[in-house]
Amino acid sequence: MAEEKKARKAMIKIKPKKYKVGDTVKVDFIVIHPMDTGMAKDKETGKIKPAHYINDITFSFDGEPFTKMKVWESISTNPYFSVNYKVTKKGKITVDYSDNLGEKNSKSKKVKPKQA
Amino acid sequence: MERRNFIKSLMMASAAATVATPNMLLANESAKEEAKTVENKKAPLKGPNDMSLEDAIKVITGDKEAKESDKIKLTVPEIAENGAVVPVKVEVDNPMEEKNYVKSIHVLNSKNSNSRCADIMLTPANDKAYFSTRVKLAETQEIVTIVALSDGTFMKAGKSIKVTIGGCG
Repeated sequence: MAEEKKARKAMIKIKPKKYKVGDTVKVDFIVIHPMDTGMAKDKETGKIKPAHYINDITFSFDGEPFTKMKVWESISTNPYFSVNYKVTKKGKITVDYSDNLGEKNSKSKKVKPKQA
Repeated sequence: MERRNFIKSLMMASAAATVATPNMLLANESAKEEAKTVENKKAPLKGPNDMSLEDAIKVITGDKEAKESDKIKLTVPEIAENGAVVPVKVEVDNPMEEKNYVKSIHVLNSKNSNSRCADIMLTPANDKAYFSTRVKLAETQEIVTIVALSDGTFMKAGKSIKVTIGGCG
């Protein structure tokens, strides 16, 4: 029986909420992920928790990548990443991310510029 | 009676496990002791991607020099109350045009066993070179950022952060 893919909680926020074509907005990406370093002990079992951290992230607009990130286990648990993006038209921002254990996930958010 | 003893031994075992974390002990050292030992201290446990700051910079810049630049605005707290969540923000005062843009921002630390935190590859579509995140710092140390421009040159900036409670345990 195939293992059910764990749905990871993630969020993309665009700031400010109201923007026009030509504006540069802030794109925040937050995801629930342990970002275990492979050096910390589980407080209950006393055993070392194996390294489990997000390592690759790609931000795309309508399928076109505009920012790529390579990150390591020194990033905090439930990581937060923020970059800028210049709005050119209505469309969709997608964040594809994967971790060192091979888990791949994706989150999208519509880009809806107000009429000028 | 038997069950009470069993529960007691469980509690003792878990208490022993929580007390004996070397990372926690190291991180709770007083500031004075830290100042003395910080120079010679090695990372308490080996992680999967161990790399020193010097080696990480070499990997990023090759043989090229990264010059200190005030075009880089690195924002970090002077004192981090919680080493597990330290905000880091990098802004670069440079155009983001097709022929001249900030190609990448690299965030590094000086004392975690893996000094690499993040590599951010930007494009002109970002319009303004900016990156913000939160990092884990095991102890008082420096955050260093290397910025690569599309013309192949490198800039750098660094700031010290005092960590009161280490964030890697």
